[in-house]
Amino acid sequence: MPHIDVELDRLRNKLLEMWDLVEYQLSSGREAVVNGDKELAQRIIKLDRKVNNFDIKIDRMCENFFALFNPVAVDLRTVLAILKINTNLERVGDTAEGIARFACKLNHPLDPELIELTKVLVMYDEALAMFTECRTAFKEDDPKQAKALIKRDKTLNKIYRKSDAVITKYIKAHPDRIAESLALLSIIKKLERVGDQVTNMAEEIIFYREAKVVKHRRKKKKKE
Amino acid sequence: MTNSEKNRLKDKAFQVFGVFCTFIGLVVLAIFLIDIVIEGIARIDWDFLTSLPSRRAASAGILTAWAGTIWILILSALIAFPLGIAAGVYLEEYAKKTKLSNFLEINIANLAGVPSIIYGLLGLELFVRFMKLGGSLLAGALTLSLLILPIIIVTTREAIRAVPRTIRDGSFALGASKWQTVWYQVLPSSFGGILTGVILALSRAVGEAAPLIVIGALAYVPFVPSSPMDEFTVLPIQIFNWTSRPQAAFLTNAAAAIIILLLITFLLNGVAVYLRHRQQKKIKW
Amino acid sequence: MKKPSKLEAINLDAYYGDFHALKSINVAMEEKAVTAFIGPSGCGKSTFLRTFNRMNDYIDGFRIDGQILLDGRDIYANDVQVDELRKEVGMVFQKPNPFPKSIFENVVYGLRIQGIKDKKILQETCEKSLRQAAIWDEVKDKLDKSALALSGGQQQRLCIARALAIQPSVILMDEPASALDPISSAKIEELIYELKKDYTIVIVTHNMQQAGRVSDYTAFFYMGELVEYAKTKTMFTSPHDTRTQNYITGRFG
Repeated sequence: MPHIDVELDRLRNKLLEMWDLVEYQLSSGREAVVNGDKELAQRIIKLDRKVNNFDIKIDRMCENFFALFNPVAVDLRTVLAILKINTNLERVGDTAEGIARFACKLNHPLDPELIELTKVLVMYDEALAMFTECRTAFKEDDPKQAKALIKRDKTLNKIYRKSDAVITKYIKAHPDRIAESLALLSIIKKLERVGDQVTNMAEEIIFYREAKVVKHRRKKKKKE
Repeated sequence: MTNSEKNRLKDKAFQVFGVFCTFIGLVVLAIFLIDIVIEGIARIDWDFLTSLPSRRAASAGILTAWAGTIWILILSALIAFPLGIAAGVYLEEYAKKTKLSNFLEINIANLAGVPSIIYGLLGLELFVRFMKLGGSLLAGALTLSLLILPIIIVTTREAIRAVPRTIRDGSFALGASKWQTVWYQVLPSSFGGILTGVILALSRAVGEAAPLIVIGALAYVPFVPSSPMDEFTVLPIQIFNWTSRPQAAFLTNAAAAIIILLLITFLLNGVAVYLRHRQQKKIKW
Repeated sequence: MKKPSKLEAINLDAYYGDFHALKSINVAMEEKAVTAFIGPSGCGKSTFLRTFNRMNDYIDGFRIDGQILLDGRDIYANDVQVDELRKEVGMVFQKPNPFPKSIFENVVYGLRIQGIKDKKILQETCEKSLRQAAIWDEVKDKLDKSALALSGGQQQRLCIARALAIQPSVILMDEPASALDPISSAKIEELIYELKKDYTIVIVTHNMQQAGRVSDYTAFFYMGELVEYAKTKTMFTSPHDTRTQNYITGRFG
């Protein structure tokens, strides 16, 4: 295998490692929220430092790769994509940390009615699934899978858009549960962000595989 | 007439002049050759080549002369070849660029231009009298070797210089000594060039009469030399001798001998051209 | 885990007559790593490279002060035989310089001059070296053909095989790919990357991208001085000296 491919593989593997770590953060976050496991939440918060280290390390590796190999064409796009996905992953990590912080605040048990009404767990599962599939799409260089992901972001957005009304209604009915409701609303907002980040990452995958810029395209269509 | 038309005209004029100059030499040579051939070709037969010299023109042959020439040729080659190459290799590969080596270089180049009669006098003093070799083949060959040595040295150096520096570097870098580099790389690569130079030098030696006359080669030798210590004659001396006779028949003999001498010279030059051509085809740097 | 240094220059000065070509160079090169020398023409990098196998010895008026250590031993000491040194330190030149002989004879030349005549040893070494130089498959059927008939890139790999045949531990390369087309050049680079597993390699290059791709360490020379010596990564992302920065970014002068 040519030297450049060896180095590129190292870079990709490093990113996948980081991806695993963030995935663990995110999926544990769900557990912490559902079970009110504050210890787990603390652990998630602490993991953020590790994610940050990955972020710096991958930035550094990309910088070296540019400097030493002067990549062009697909190599260039791959490293650019890795650089951006790295940033997105770090954000998702931050988001997972944020969710964990709210999990600490939540008083348990959560009202099952609220969970049912807001569909927060449905949303969480969808976000997690998208996140995991995006990793597969990256690992297998599969732009088709990435394209499918972008469409799935709509489900998250739909739930998010309704959540304001749902929560308002719930608070009116249960004024004693305002704190809990607001925390849950924040978590929903964060999950919506996760969906956006995954979409961004999927767009990067399409960019480096097919050299097509897909981001910001939807908005243009709407304007027309 | 415009300037550029003038220029073109000048250009044309020079071309015509150039062609004239080129042909003038060739034409003179051709006339000379044709004259000689017409004069002498009829005289050449087997008897002419195998007969001893004689007082009577009709029965005189050139056996001793061409045998002497071949002897001289081989002996000179044997003497001058190793000496010339060794000196050339030394000057090119080993000698440091000092004032002494510069002095040597200039003088070797000068030696190549010294008139051959001077070499004859040197040979007479050194080989014939001092070394007591007499007017023998060996003395003649040694004298002619001195004459062609500078030419061989110069052509050897040129041939060696044509071997790229990178080949030597490659050999040295693999741990070869200077001698190994010269022996395995430089000489094989330049051998064609060296040989060409040696042959051209020999073909010059073949035509020399003056130095050999000076050291005492005889015009009349009634036997074919059988050892380097024998007395001898060579074709140019035989020719010189015949042309100085009053009888017309001897002039015909001389013309015939000239044809033989020219054949030997052309043959040597032909071999040299062939070797150079083969060398160029075999090795392209 | 720091590997021991294979080659080391201590306070090295070099002169061509009155010209001060290298000015008190101090550098230590790691074993089984690739070190690249970069710098503008005439900066002394080739001169420096050639001190490691004493190729400068034949140049009139060349002399050095200071020491060059190979495995801790001064190679300019009186008891060092140059031919022994060159068995240890092989060299590949800028222009491919195969001898006008067969491919086989080219590869075994180094052994022949050591007096090795055993056919079996010669053949085995020939195959092994050609394989190492990644050219065996291309030439195995024409070992008795002239090396001059090969393409430039093949000739250069043959020259590398020739250097490997005498089993050196260090290989010096003086712009080994600069006379080649990009594909041949890339092959040489891949080869260098493979060879560094077993050999200590020092390469002079004008091509900064090449230095980046193949080397672990880079030394930048300017006007006979060693301006900067660092890991290639560091050198190419955050050089310490402004002159280095200007040179590698192409803003020199």
